[in-house]
Amino acid sequence: MKSSNRELVDRLAAEYALGTLRGRARRHFERWLVSPQVGNMVKAWEERLAGLEPAPERVVPPATLWRGIEKRLDLRGREHTPVARWLALAASLVFLAFVGVFALRGDPAPTRLASIQEQSGTIYWQVELLGDDVALKIQVRSPHALERGRTHELWVLPAPGVNNGNPVSLGLLPTSGESRRELTAAQRAALTGAKQLAVSLEPAGGSPTGLPTGPVLHVAALVAS
Amino acid sequence: MDRTESLPPEIELAQLLQRCAALDSGAFRTLYDKTSPILFGRLLRMLRRRSVAEEALQEVYVRIWERAVQYEAHRGRALAWMVTIARYCAIDLMRRERLTLVGDDVLAEVADESGSGSAGFDKPNNFDHCIGQLSDKTRACLTLAFVEGRSHDEIARLTTSPLGSVKSWIRRGLLSLKECLSGGRQTA
Repeated sequence: MKSSNRELVDRLAAEYALGTLRGRARRHFERWLVSPQVGNMVKAWEERLAGLEPAPERVVPPATLWRGIEKRLDLRGREHTPVARWLALAASLVFLAFVGVFALRGDPAPTRLASIQEQSGTIYWQVELLGDDVALKIQVRSPHALERGRTHELWVLPAPGVNNGNPVSLGLLPTSGESRRELTAAQRAALTGAKQLAVSLEPAGGSPTGLPTGPVLHVAALVAS
Repeated sequence: MDRTESLPPEIELAQLLQRCAALDSGAFRTLYDKTSPILFGRLLRMLRRRSVAEEALQEVYVRIWERAVQYEAHRGRALAWMVTIARYCAIDLMRRERLTLVGDDVLAEVADESGSGSAGFDKPNNFDHCIGQLSDKTRACLTLAFVEGRSHDEIARLTTSPLGSVKSWIRRGLLSLKECLSGGRQTA
């Protein structure tokens, strides 16, 4: 980032963290948070301004609110019984056997991979780019929290100068199992020289704008396999 | 309201957040029980209308659950991380609801509190010194924005100052604060 740009972005990051960056400017700035550099500037401001935080005033919320949260996040459905877990495991083994039979036809070898994971090491998705970015294979390793009616979208953060530096969508991430898709010419171009993938939270069906609209939850390095 | 009760231990909140990232809904419920009164109080302070604050609280916990993976345990500050989510969520809702000022009583209240300390929240080193270096007006502007979620326009009306002055006090105040906290020039 040029130093003049850096100053401008830092000023916006400051007003974002303070809360005075509003309306469309705020929405617009949130799209830049896809960049770890910008994200770190915001975090640094959040830490600086934390000193303004007043002493907490506790007010107990009405008990009905929790029910609403539980419903929105479908939390009850997550409490699987052990039997349901075994059934799910058995089903996935059958699925894997099927996949195995078809896989004998052979996918091109993976050339690059990215593990989308959190700090503590839990891997959510394993992404593989197959045969010179011809195809993309995504495997769900651990399920990821998601509100009903929302989805996770995968993006490539292109090399500097490619696509004006804007992320290019690689499609929606599966919530279970595995998916494989061919890449388009535009996606392949964006992947050339790219070093990072990102995951954003989007409305069902994916970003309506062609750029990330929700928060960027993960940024992962693309490494040679 | 109770200002004296101590805050839940950071380490415990950090562990609960990590368990949320692993989709442990029991941990999420515990986290909600321990922190929702604090976040609800904070939202009421910004949004003022109870019905809007209730809606905001649900949205805040949905975001916490979905974004628990983003919480970086090594940075600590679990409660501050959640409060930031609440503040940003309140700002988003203010826009939608077009919430406006309720009264001018806010300013006196805020002035009393600015720099009054934030029991339990980590302050950057030297924060009290650096915030003390700013002019009273600048400090009031920053506090109205951060604590109450006021926009530039609202701050101008509350402080009966021209909008342009408010914007430049805030911009210069932020710069001075950054310089001072990084150990640089210590003036306002």
